Amino acid sequence: MMRERHFADYVTLTAVVVVLALAPLALGDSAHYMRLATLMLIYMGYAVAFNIIFGHTRQLFLCLGALAGSSGYVSVVLTIKLGLSPWLTIPLGVASAALLGGVFSYVSVRRGLGVIFVGIVTLVFSLIFHNLVLGLRELTNGETGIETKGLGPAVLQNASASYYAVLGVVAASLVMYHLLMRSRAGKAFQAIADDELAAELAGIDVTFYKVLAATIGSALLGVVGAVYAYYSGFISPTVYSLVSVDIVVLVTLLLGGMSTLLGPVLGGAVFAVLDEVVRPLGRLNVLVYGILMIVLVVTFRHGLVAMLRKVVRIRIP
Amino acid sequence: MIAILLDGIVQGLQLSLMAVGITLIFGLGGVLNLAHGQFAVVGGIAAALFVGEGLHPLAACVLGVLTAGLFGLIVDRTLLVPAYRCAGEERLLLGLLITLGLSFAVNGFLDFRYADIALTLRLPTPSYEIGGITVRSASVIAALIALGAFALLFAFLKGTLLGKVIRSIIQNEVGAGLCGINPARIRTLIVVLSAMLAGLGGIAQGLFSSVGTEMGNELTSFALIVAVVGGVRSINGTLAAGVLLGIVNAFASYLVGAYMTLLILLATAAFTILLRPQGLFAYRT
Repeated sequence: MMRERHFADYVTLTAVVVVLALAPLALGDSAHYMRLATLMLIYMGYAVAFNIIFGHTRQLFLCLGALAGSSGYVSVVLTIKLGLSPWLTIPLGVASAALLGGVFSYVSVRRGLGVIFVGIVTLVFSLIFHNLVLGLRELTNGETGIETKGLGPAVLQNASASYYAVLGVVAASLVMYHLLMRSRAGKAFQAIADDELAAELAGIDVTFYKVLAATIGSALLGVVGAVYAYYSGFISPTVYSLVSVDIVVLVTLLLGGMSTLLGPVLGGAVFAVLDEVVRPLGRLNVLVYGILMIVLVVTFRHGLVAMLRKVVRIRIP
Repeated sequence: MIAILLDGIVQGLQLSLMAVGITLIFGLGGVLNLAHGQFAVVGGIAAALFVGEGLHPLAACVLGVLTAGLFGLIVDRTLLVPAYRCAGEERLLLGLLITLGLSFAVNGFLDFRYADIALTLRLPTPSYEIGGITVRSASVIAALIALGAFALLFAFLKGTLLGKVIRSIIQNEVGAGLCGINPARIRTLIVVLSAMLAGLGGIAQGLFSSVGTEMGNELTSFALIVAVVGGVRSINGTLAAGVLLGIVNAFASYLVGAYMTLLILLATAAFTILLRPQGLFAYRT
């Protein structure tokens, strides 16, 4: 039974990587589509992280953009101001994101905050982050943002190389997700998601595992946020705002299916297509996202993966 | 100094007017309304549209408040129904996500359709002097509106049987149900009432500055901060927190600038949740 389950995981992982690796061939040389595909991968990365934090341990972090942004900004600002190599500053950025996420989680578990209060605290942190970036003009250039062209690792300067670099990050995060879920921690996450009190009574260290999930997830957000900062060539408070990250990731994960391996990937792909479809609507796309989110939350809470499982009756991780 | 204090109190009353709706809906419906600022904007924009139709500003404002209430009614009877079907954490989560989605939908729609419409109310006499202090008549009217609304609200909650019913549901929904109270109908009433209060707050905002489509998120976050600091289940606490934060806001803007002020307010909210999740002034209403 166990082996069969892992087998399904391996097949899915391989299939995902192969399909995504071949995708650029289908897109041809179009720089526009190449960029969209890379952005899609970035949102998949965010969604994998959020899946660990929210899908598995029910901690509603509404500061995904802020965590990714803190990593991106720490890394870029250190690179510019101190002249350090991005290979050194990216880990620092990731560490700061992981630390922030871990601290939020630790404090809220210790204070016994319900899911809603975790949501409010992290939402408030998002606002604080946004205003700090706007206010610390000397460091962050405020609203105008920072040009990061030519700063980052050489891999992220070329369109198709950066696609594969980001794909590498996403693939690594999926493998890590798989390993995490089959480990002892994965069982603990499942118990916590089912019933936190029962898990505590069964001898699971709920605090430890919740903080672990939040730290790993935040670190991953940090990695993706920093990669994005160098890849896109430009960062500003807007690219890490609640609207551009958190909402999209929420919709992506709800669409794909929470607490699943394939969910973030599937959701990310469908969302990317959807986003392209509503692009001609211009400013109306916020309306579409809002409605989509309501519809998903109300009628489609288990996502595409759950639907596929029902339809094709095979094990989809 | 006194002028700043007064200014702060007036601003605080405005904030409380918005926040009390969040408190009521959370206390009664178990839904944290993240689209509350959008209710206010709907009220403001509707009033602006009615003024554009040539109505008397006062009538337009009344109609604006009613429109916000109608919007609240529709939201409560349609969008929030799936949330009400669940209980406990699940309802909180579902309600939060639905209203978050709603706030984006409303923002997107208003931005698209009424991007260039904003409500600005101008008073015939902008300001006058009492005892050496220049008082803006907008402040006086806004304060009177807020105080009037609160007086009515408290009279309603404390003095009438329906008010007692409402307080009983806030204290214990199951217990109230066992006493033969139908929480669903009361909930609708409260959502409509809160939406109207939000609309009133939005329109009162039009006395100071213009209320445009982009203000929804800002109003929501301020109202949320006040509701959280006051205790999301306590109406007295919300009023007190609103006035307190209004005063802090006024003095801090004067002393350290608007940017630091916002950070101070946000940090206050964060620390309140972490140190006293029930709110600074939490005692039962």
